[in-house]
Amino acid sequence: MSASQAAGGPGPGAAHERRLERAVGRLLSLGTLAGVVLLAIGVAGMLAAGLAPLTTVAPALDLARLAADLAALRPEGFLWLGVAVIIATPSARVATALVGYGLEGDRRMVGIAVAILGVIALSVAVAMATGA
Amino acid sequence: MVAGLLLVTGGAAAGVFGALLGLGGGILIVPLLTLGFGLPLREAVAVSLVSVIVTSSAAASVYLQRSTANLRLGMSLELFTASGALCGGLLAYAIPERVVAGLFAALLAYTAFSMIRRREPAPPAAAGAAAGTRATPGAGDPPSPAPAAASVADRPSVADRLSGPGYRVRNLPAGIAGALFAGVVSALLGVGGGIVKVPVMNLGMGVPLRVATATSNLMIGITASSSAIIYLLRGGIDPYVAGPTAVGVFVGASVASRLAHRVDVRILRLLFVVVVAYTAYEMLGKALA
Repeated sequence: MSASQAAGGPGPGAAHERRLERAVGRLLSLGTLAGVVLLAIGVAGMLAAGLAPLTTVAPALDLARLAADLAALRPEGFLWLGVAVIIATPSARVATALVGYGLEGDRRMVGIAVAILGVIALSVAVAMATGA
Repeated sequence: MVAGLLLVTGGAAAGVFGALLGLGGGILIVPLLTLGFGLPLREAVAVSLVSVIVTSSAAASVYLQRSTANLRLGMSLELFTASGALCGGLLAYAIPERVVAGLFAALLAYTAFSMIRRREPAPPAAAGAAAGTRATPGAGDPPSPAPAAASVADRPSVADRLSGPGYRVRNLPAGIAGALFAGVVSALLGVGGGIVKVPVMNLGMGVPLRVATATSNLMIGITASSSAIIYLLRGGIDPYVAGPTAVGVFVGASVASRLAHRVDVRILRLLFVVVVAYTAYEMLGKALA
């Protein structure tokens, strides 16, 4: 694939790149919307329950309790899930690009995508190892 | 209840200002939460990062669907912004908050200064790039040779592969260094880091301003999430503050994108410079206290 094709010139590579950009764009749009809707539900529940931010001690993130919090319609469940979806959306975008470049056979971009996801995984590992 | 609504309103104001002036919300959210709501600086940075991801992901989705952002270049550089953000996220827990406040004051002063110096954007016709088409170099872009010579080569170089129509990426090492620095700044201060990335890409790498802005927006998501994960897993994010602020920022930025053509940005910019200069003074006071 030539540079002009990769950059948007004519050719099957360029068409594939356009499809990939659109797919990645749609994923970002969906992820953001889902995260914001979850946060908005959580905020509405928080206001309805009379929970005051800044003075009420926030519940810690507990993945084991998340499903129960959501089932019980507790605001913190929606808020934590919303935060998690928002933080995970960019990584999902990189994973989508990885698949797209893999189908295109672009090993360099696949390597870059894997390396980015590796840095994210390292962030998780370091945070868990040095947690508060 | 009142505090929750105030956070939504404050976030919306930051979203409106940020979107109209082409900034991420972080530069306004951190001072709002620390000086306005008395939140510790580190917690404000963590909350700001969540809001920054929201605005950058929303904007990047539009830029990608319009092919304004350069996905290959963005992904290549965000490997380094993410690495910088990982270091910055760890650094944030190692250095005193007063130092962070001092750094933030310097960032605010620099932002106010660059806002005063900023030129008016070129009219759309002059920029020559209609929405829905691939971006081309516009007014204010540094000269950048087209990739014609590269396309005749059998094996295009890395820079050629990252180039776009009408411009050729150059000086990749400078871009990598700038990306690493932007990542550290983003994680430490809770901002997107566009204030570093856009000039590096535009002036240092020959990327047209519109493409550099769009690509920077794309990169912010991964940059901010690399460090937000560290804050999240270390218990640094308060969902009762992050929720209302992020929702407010999203609503504010969405409204602003529809108001942009009706607002006199010059007046807004003047107001912004005054607010940011005053905030820099207050942050400096916090650093020296």
